[in-house]
Amino acid sequence: MKANKTKIWSAAIAVTLTYTGVAYADGHTADVYAPYEGTTLVVNFPAHPHYNAVLEVLPEFTEQTGIEVEVDQLQYLKMRERQTLELTKDEGDYDLISYVVFSKADYVYADQLENLAKYFMNPRLADPNYDASDLIDGYVANIGVAGGEKGYLPGKTGSLFGIPFGSETSVLAYRKDIFEKHGIDVPTNYDQLLEVACQIPELEPGMGGMASRAASGHQASHAFLLHLAPLGGRVFDSEWNPIINSPEGVAAANALKTIVDCGPEGGTTFGPAEAAASFQQGTSAMFMDSIAFAAGFEDPSKSTVVGKVGYALHPEGVRRGSQTGGFGIGIPSNAQNKEAAFLLMQWLTSKEQDLAIAMAGGNPSRFSTYEDAGLNEKYPYSATFGEALKYADPDWRPIIPTWGTINADIGTTMSQVLTEGLDPQEALDGVAERARAVMDEAGYYTWQ
Amino acid sequence: MSIASTNRMTPYLFLAPAGLVLAFALFYPICYMIYASFLDWNPSQRIGEAEFVGLRNYFKLFSDDAFRESMGVTLKFAAVVVTIEMFLGVGLALLLDRNIRGMSVLRTLFILPMMIAPIVVGLMWRYMYHPTVGIFNKTLKSWGFDGIPWLSDGSWAFASVVIADVWQWTPFIFILSLAALQSLPASAIEASRIDGASGWQQILYIKLPLMLPVLIVTLLLRLIDSFKVLEVILVMTNGGPGLSTEILSLRINRTASEFRELGEAAAMSNLLLIVLLILTFTMFIYNKAQDARAARLRAVEEEV
Repeated sequence: MKANKTKIWSAAIAVTLTYTGVAYADGHTADVYAPYEGTTLVVNFPAHPHYNAVLEVLPEFTEQTGIEVEVDQLQYLKMRERQTLELTKDEGDYDLISYVVFSKADYVYADQLENLAKYFMNPRLADPNYDASDLIDGYVANIGVAGGEKGYLPGKTGSLFGIPFGSETSVLAYRKDIFEKHGIDVPTNYDQLLEVACQIPELEPGMGGMASRAASGHQASHAFLLHLAPLGGRVFDSEWNPIINSPEGVAAANALKTIVDCGPEGGTTFGPAEAAASFQQGTSAMFMDSIAFAAGFEDPSKSTVVGKVGYALHPEGVRRGSQTGGFGIGIPSNAQNKEAAFLLMQWLTSKEQDLAIAMAGGNPSRFSTYEDAGLNEKYPYSATFGEALKYADPDWRPIIPTWGTINADIGTTMSQVLTEGLDPQEALDGVAERARAVMDEAGYYTWQ
Repeated sequence: MSIASTNRMTPYLFLAPAGLVLAFALFYPICYMIYASFLDWNPSQRIGEAEFVGLRNYFKLFSDDAFRESMGVTLKFAAVVVTIEMFLGVGLALLLDRNIRGMSVLRTLFILPMMIAPIVVGLMWRYMYHPTVGIFNKTLKSWGFDGIPWLSDGSWAFASVVIADVWQWTPFIFILSLAALQSLPASAIEASRIDGASGWQQILYIKLPLMLPVLIVTLLLRLIDSFKVLEVILVMTNGGPGLSTEILSLRINRTASEFRELGEAAAMSNLLLIVLLILTFTMFIYNKAQDARAARLRAVEEEV
């Protein structure tokens, strides 16, 4: 019955890709993988450039280990709904899932992700050459670890629940040709950034300064938080009091408003795809968002700005702080083939495969990958991205179960600031007050 | 058991299967939803693990500004959309209620918008409203006017979703009104013509009153539907800018999937259901009152 149901269910999924490979392990790793030969792992991945690159290297895994992998690929916001249903079952269908960073809080809190300690302790499973210290710190802190500082960050009480895979940070992409033409320097701090953003429309009529996300809801909130961390602000202080309405918060809101006002036409409805498209089509001179978009700018079939794009670090405010986000992979507590899933997870995030995936267009999770000469030759911006990752801020937004509600509130209120002229201080005071009520109800002030 | 009592039972026996289907297909989900609205229920929990919180979800909704605003937007949207659609739909029907060559082709063309999937309608309009490459702003600019912030300004965004909905659903009212018009008794219309009624008088005193029962049902159907629009607005604006186009069904969707508050979402759905029930009952009562009045008038006439 169950198998039957699974079949029907997977048939209904639009993009289900099955990889079947040769069921012979190669000599080198036979002992490790032999017990699991012939196992079929079901994994849930998002439709995302990184995971499209992963699909290119996956057949290699089956060839090496004899473990088959069935991939269920979904749009990344849909993935969350499906996983929520799957993870509450007694026996789940997924052996390995990719999760969006803000799902970490919910899954760990509901005890739905395996603590990875027991696998890394198991000498039969853990690869001694894995070199975990090479994994990018900011990503591991943001996506992998929970239970330490503030509950969602690393710390003395924290432990590992996932490994970053398809993670992202923010960089500033700019039009080299336009900057050179007008003798503009690449902005390194926020004052310069805002000045250049508003200078461009005057120098280049019809071109916006910087394309940014700004659509009501999650996008506007994301854009605001992108500026909040470098400008020195936080959403909560260490005792969960909302401090989003601090002067730093107001400065971030004003920065966003300046950027959108001087940005391309219709910018207030932009999501990340529209903002990237505006930059690709040459209607804006700068774009500051995830590194995942870079490959698209260099793709001649989509982009009119190939070869004209320069990349720089996310400008500094009172501190450096680029975003951390994207995806991690973890093993559901109700998975049926946990050990084999761990082997796949370890294989995918190993040095060799991280590089192979990066060469196919994915986002590296390791410092060593960014330093690789071959990768830098193929994607010249890799060195800048590696540098940006040193400043990746794992705490640029809180990852707590109540975040969904607060995030939506920040997003709609910011949208009102951008489109209806609501005063930023007043707007953020409102957000802080409502956030306090939400946090209070969720019990964050129990100990005060 | 006597034969008489068995006979009395027979109708119920025949009704039982339908009753069972009704109980499972209708009452069970509704009761489930009502029960869920009393829970603090997170999608990561099973319903049995959720905490019972009584009426807390409802109290929370009434003190929630965003919910009240969204309710306001929904009422405004429904009222505006249905009014415009009724005028246009009935107007078109009156204009086209005649023998034109190729009428059946025209009629099919008119109802095309209704047949398009809502997601596609949303996408189509979103691209047409696009600030730089959309057809509206391109045309305006080529005529030398400034572009209009179709989806990026609160009031324009509301107008934009209204326009899209009117475009899609006016045909619904149009075909129903046309059907009603064509089934009107020719004798009444002929009699009025012989009595010398002008075209306007015919419409006002003969056609519209005779069409009224159909129009009321049409209105009701559209009204109920307009309270539940989701996909078109979801695709076009996702409720923005701010909360200017966040109608209730969109808020319910977000509450369940984004805020992960299934109990609150259920409470909202219940409130929406109650609003719709009140509307429907008002309509029915109005209808009944009208019928009763007509019957009384007829009785009086007959006595005379």
